[in-house]
Amino acid sequence: MRVSKRALWVVLILAVISLATWFVLARLGREEDETWTRIQGEGLIRVGMDASWPPFEFVDDDGQMVGLDVDLARAIGQRLGVQVELVNVGFDSLYDALYVGRFDAIISALPYDPLLYGDVAYSISYFNAGQVLVVRADETEISETKDLSGKRLGVELGSEGDAVGRQLQKKTESLSLQTYMAPQDVLRALKEGEVEAAIVDAVSAYQFIATEGGVQVVGDPLTDELYVIAVRLDSPLLLKAINEALVEMREDGTLQRLQEKWFR
Amino acid sequence: MRETRFFVQEYLSKHREFAQSCKFWLQGVQKPGFWLLLGSKKATKVALAIILLLVLVRPTKPVVSLGPQQEVVTINPKMGVHTRLTDEVEEWKIKQTLVMVRQMGTPWIVEYFPWAYYEGKKGHFNWSHPDVVVDHALAQGLTVIARLGFVPEWARPEDTITSYLDREHYDDFGDFVHAFVTHFQGRVRYIIIWNEPNLSLEWGYRPVDPAGYTELLKIAYSRAKEADPQVQVLAGALAPTLAPEGDPEGLNDLTYLQRMYDAGARDYFDILAIHAYGWTLPPDDPPAADKINFRRAELLRQVMVANDDGDKKCIITEGGWNDHPRWTKAVRPYQRIEYSIRAYEKALEWDWCQAVCLWAFRYPWSAKSYRDYFTFVTVDFLPKPIYLEVQRYAQGERE
Repeated sequence: MRVSKRALWVVLILAVISLATWFVLARLGREEDETWTRIQGEGLIRVGMDASWPPFEFVDDDGQMVGLDVDLARAIGQRLGVQVELVNVGFDSLYDALYVGRFDAIISALPYDPLLYGDVAYSISYFNAGQVLVVRADETEISETKDLSGKRLGVELGSEGDAVGRQLQKKTESLSLQTYMAPQDVLRALKEGEVEAAIVDAVSAYQFIATEGGVQVVGDPLTDELYVIAVRLDSPLLLKAINEALVEMREDGTLQRLQEKWFR
Repeated sequence: MRETRFFVQEYLSKHREFAQSCKFWLQGVQKPGFWLLLGSKKATKVALAIILLLVLVRPTKPVVSLGPQQEVVTINPKMGVHTRLTDEVEEWKIKQTLVMVRQMGTPWIVEYFPWAYYEGKKGHFNWSHPDVVVDHALAQGLTVIARLGFVPEWARPEDTITSYLDREHYDDFGDFVHAFVTHFQGRVRYIIIWNEPNLSLEWGYRPVDPAGYTELLKIAYSRAKEADPQVQVLAGALAPTLAPEGDPEGLNDLTYLQRMYDAGARDYFDILAIHAYGWTLPPDDPPAADKINFRRAELLRQVMVANDDGDKKCIITEGGWNDHPRWTKAVRPYQRIEYSIRAYEKALEWDWCQAVCLWAFRYPWSAKSYRDYFTFVTVDFLPKPIYLEVQRYAQGERE
């Protein structure tokens, strides 16, 4: 049988492409993670946080770092079968400290930042601190923003809730906006009947519900501020382990219990 | 006209070729053995047709016009902002920024014009980008204060940073100032010489040198006036700092200004540029030599008066507050709004203050840090509540 030169070339090119594809796929399938290897070897994960953000992380009267994130870090450590070392670093330095290896992960009420997606790897979210609609506890008419027509809405002046409120005002008939100096002032005004609804961040809302009560969060969050855990890009196995732990904690109610504990 | 006709003919002929190539391609792919034609002349034609298609479907640049001459409507003509258009490439974004500045009611802008960007080679200037910025600003009725600095590679030794300028190259900077003022004569009436020279970072990571800066100021002032006697030269723009003598980071701004006077700076600037950040303190917080707050500007003013230079004006070319939720030097969002508006009001009370330009209107991209919380408008041009409140104030709608 006579085979043309052109056909031989085609066969050769296809063979080279197949070989290259196999090589790339084989490399992709074999994940390496020195951080994860070290954590397992030492039995210790180092977690960075800025302990100045109650109730997520703060220093108590005994000088101990405590809070929802501290408990979360320990719960993750338990599931990973390792001890947890907490490293207190200022919020603006958290990413840099992670990059240079001062710790293995950031757990610090850290909002997901899409702009940093190429710089760090993020876990799934464990808390949404976005803006929420809050009404009085006995309110029956307002359950979503569509019900705000003709109502008075309280917001913290200059906040993201204020920005959301101004947007809603443009598309809601007769919605009036009342501004206050702090989220707690907004929620007190709501409780006392100065306004019929309020938009504040979820952390302020849940803290107020826990301490003063008389109001409730209704509907889905109006904006998302997803708290996540960040690891270095070269820690895929650590990230996988953290994500598995978070899913497990969500399913067995641990995350819910932590929230109830720290927002009581 | 002939050129236009030629261009149209060329374009049509290219389209005809492209259409023929497409026809060939569509016929060709249906034929058995097409993929074995690699390397043939026909395949080359197909490849060329695909390249041509990519060229033709490439999006065209939007045409941005200056538009009609606008004017700023405001109850406070001393209001200003520091814009960040130096690295803004797209003209429509430059225009949109300046339209929004005008609509906020702030007639003054401070903008950075880096020497290295315009004089990449000694004596060879490219003013295309700054022309766009200045012309759009003027079309919006804004007054431009140009900050000059940023040393090109050819004017400094290797492995030095862009704030490094040695005495041998002071005249080169003077030449640049002369060229800048000449080029923008009648369009830019205010220039700032250097930025925060009392910080080591801004002085090429060398120990700060008030006498050295004054020498540079003298050259820049003389060359600027030589180009346009009407141009107003701003000096200083010192960083508010309490750094003591010998501190590697910098030198106390009050001390530095006095040293400038000692070195003979008095006759070599028309206006003092001041940086006035409030950090966590309100704008009415009383000034003190050991405190950084907005009214520290008054202490710099006192140094001027003490040096028999009280007839000159000052302009706050940077300043303001930050409302990041977690930064230790930030305030609550409502405080940032109230403090910023109060700062603008204070400019009206200070007869020696010509304008207050707060940092910063908008960044071309996110800083990914607390710095984003200094801005009035998001990267995507969404006005923050502070923008809307300042606008209401400028329109006289705020009590």
